[in-house]
This record gives sequence, C-alpha cells and structure tokens, in this order.
Amino acid sequence: MSDLIAWSDDYFWGAMVVLKIFAVSLVMAVAFGLIGATAKLSKSSIANKIASAYTIVFRGVPELLVILIFYYGSAITLTSIGRVFYPQTQFIDIAPFWAGAFAIALIVGSYATETFRGAFLGVDPGIVEAARALGLSNLHTFFYVRVPQMWRLALPSFGNHMLSLMKDTALISIIGLEEIVYVAEMATAVTLKPFTMYMIVALIYLSITTVITLVMMALEKHSNRHLEGAL
Amino acid sequence: MTFDIYLIFDSIPKMLAGIGMTLHLLFLSSFLGLILGIIILLMRISGRWYLSFPTFAYIYFFRGTPILVQIFVIYHGLPQFEAIRDSVFWPILREPFGCAILALTLNSGAYVSEILRGGYLGVDKGLHEAGKALGLSTPHRFIYVTTPIAVRLAIPAYSNDFISMLKATSLASTITLLEMTGVARTIVAQTFAPYEIFIAAAIIYLVMTWFLQRGFGLFEKRMSRYIKLSEA
Repeated sequence: MSDLIAWSDDYFWGAMVVLKIFAVSLVMAVAFGLIGATAKLSKSSIANKIASAYTIVFRGVPELLVILIFYYGSAITLTSIGRVFYPQTQFIDIAPFWAGAFAIALIVGSYATETFRGAFLGVDPGIVEAARALGLSNLHTFFYVRVPQMWRLALPSFGNHMLSLMKDTALISIIGLEEIVYVAEMATAVTLKPFTMYMIVALIYLSITTVITLVMMALEKHSNRHLEGAL
Repeated sequence: MTFDIYLIFDSIPKMLAGIGMTLHLLFLSSFLGLILGIIILLMRISGRWYLSFPTFAYIYFFRGTPILVQIFVIYHGLPQFEAIRDSVFWPILREPFGCAILALTLNSGAYVSEILRGGYLGVDKGLHEAGKALGLSTPHRFIYVTTPIAVRLAIPAYSNDFISMLKATSLASTITLLEMTGVARTIVAQTFAPYEIFIAAAIIYLVMTWFLQRGFGLFEKRMSRYIKLSEA
C-alpha cells in the first residue's frame, strides 16, 4: 500500500498524459473521419480511390506496426532532411507524443470514415434540399445541416471508436511515451510488485472507459431528445 | 535516406518465418476464445444470477482495458505470487507463448460472447415457438433451431473480431515473442531501415486480412443459403 502512495503522483501525471493524447487524437480522428467520408461520397473517382486505400490500409495493419512506422520512419526522414541543411546533424526525431497521437488518430479515423459515410447516407435528402432551397451555401449546409443530422446516427458506433482510441493510447508507451504503462514499468523495477503496478494501470483505464461509456449514453439521449415526445 | 527496395525482398523470407508464430497465436487463441465465449454466453443467458453476474464482471473488465495491459498483467504480473509459481500452471505461465495465448484467449472470449449474444438475440421469437409447437425439447431447440441462425447472424461481427485478433497478435512482440512484428523489429534493430521492413510487414498483414475477409465472406454465403432457397 505504501508503494502505491509513493507512486500515486507518477500515476496521476501518467493518466494526465493519457487524457491529453486522447483529446488531441480524438480531434484529429474526427477530422480524418469527416474528410474520409466526404471523399468516399464525392463524385471524384480519384478521391474515392484514395479514401478506400486509406481505410483498407489502416484497418488491416496492426496498430503497433503503424505506430512503429510513424515513429521510426519520421525519425529517419527528419534526420536525412536535417543532414541536407546541417551535415553534422546526428539524429532528429519527433516526440513520441505526436508520432503516437497522429498514428492512432489515423487508425481510428479510418474506422470513423466508414461510420460517418454510413451516417451521411442516412440523412434524409429532403433536409439537404430544404437547406439548399433556403439559400445555404455548400459549406453551411455541410456544417449546419448534414453534420448535426449525421452525428446523431453516428454516435453509437463512434462511442465504440472512442473506446478503442482510449485503449490504443497504451501502445504509445512502446515508443517511450511516459504514460501509465511506462510508469508501471518504472514502479515495477523499484518495488518488484509487477501485478499490483500493472493492475493499477488496468483499473485506471477501466475507470476512464467507464466514464466515456456513460458520457456517450448521455450524449445519445441528448441527441435524440427531439424524438422523445413523438415516441 | 535511400529507399532500398531489395531490402524488402531480402526481408520478406525472414518475416515469413514469423508468420508461423502469428498464425499459431491467432488460431489457437481464437479457438480457445470461441469455446470460452460460448461458455460465457451460456452462463449469461442461463437466467441464474450467480452464473450471469461473474460474466458481467469478466466482460466489463476485458472490454474496458487495453490488451497490452492485460498481456503485461499476465506476463509480468502473475509471477509476483508464490502460489502461481508453485502451481501446475507455472510451466505454461513461465513461457511468453503461454502468457500471450492466455491473454488473447481471455480477451477474445469476452468479445466473442458479446457477438454471439447479439446473434442469439437476433433469432426470431416465432422460430422458438414453432420449435415448441413441433414438440422439440429445449436442448434440441437450442442446437437445431437457434444455433444455426444465431451463427449466421453473428458471422459479420465475428469476422471483424477475428481480424482484430490478427492485429492483436502483434502485441506478443512486446513480451519477446518472435512473431511477424517481433521479427520485423529485430531486423530493423540490425539494419535501421524502418520504412522498408515495417512496410513489408504491413503488406503481409494486409494480404492475410484480405484472405481472412474472403474466407469469412464465403462462409457467410454458405450459411445464408436457406435465405436464397426461400426466396426462389
């Protein structure tokens, strides 16, 4: 118990890193999902093909491998670019935080692409026509009419994507991000109590995923409030 | 930086040596996970609280935590206890392979039981009643009426889960197992050519995913043949 109290500080800051990376990659994943879904639904066949390749690749390759490619790949690319300008450059890498956040956002974004595409198709075309008739521009129709309508349909699946995004953050410890799995590794080396230390990590993740599930349930209820009277 | 295409061709045979381990992990833990999932499902739908309550806790825990953490709790964590080091399971839990199989099995059992429950709940109530009217006993109704249709309904979700399992086997590389990602990481450590090696590994994974998807597609078609017959 005294070991846990001694390490509680590190676990707290580790959990903060997890939440930070979750927030950053969630925003990016939603953006990638919206871009991907728009590309898949567009009339341009090039955009269709690029979006299909994106979803096939990022849904078929293990998350860990994507993170490794981004981290080591970006390091080797940046180092060689650096050598062009400063030949004495030893080694440049991007922080594991950004490499990891970008990698898991691309992965979850590829799942969100499929979800958003289906949800966009579920929006009543009459509503879009009504927006056109009212003189809204394409951009306004997209952000004020189609996205809010689509969002309600996409929420249940998107909640699951958020849970996998949260769980994927654990993988970033492999490339050296100092989050809770990494803290547990350090704590184990000192206290020699691996089960206790890793179980704390599991319980922290469990409580965060529980909160996400509860928030998603409340959001679903909120987004369907206009149906309550009708039912 | 040079992109050495020959390195890809050189490394693919080496990585194929890791495919055996990847497939071994995938099929063994999926098979055990399927059996575990069926047991968990039966406990959950039994209607007895002392059977269904533990399954809630189990599913909640394994679906709410990352697989990586589950693998670490089992591989690094369990030897903390004297009782486990003295138990008959120690020869299995001492090896990273046994730990990876245990973690992946427990994880897939939780997901599979939820998928099968979805299939089970999707079976039309009228079919149960028809079976009853024909005088079939409860076990007969479950085996001959509910199961075939529930299996058919669960295939699309199960195939997704199977592919997630393929991707999850890559995590075994974090506990020193030399499956495909593990082999790729070893080669990268020797050559420091991450793009060539990791992309080669990614291509192999994509090919495997494609084959699995095709296989499940054919299986689904075969299980749906009753729909075609009734439409004709």
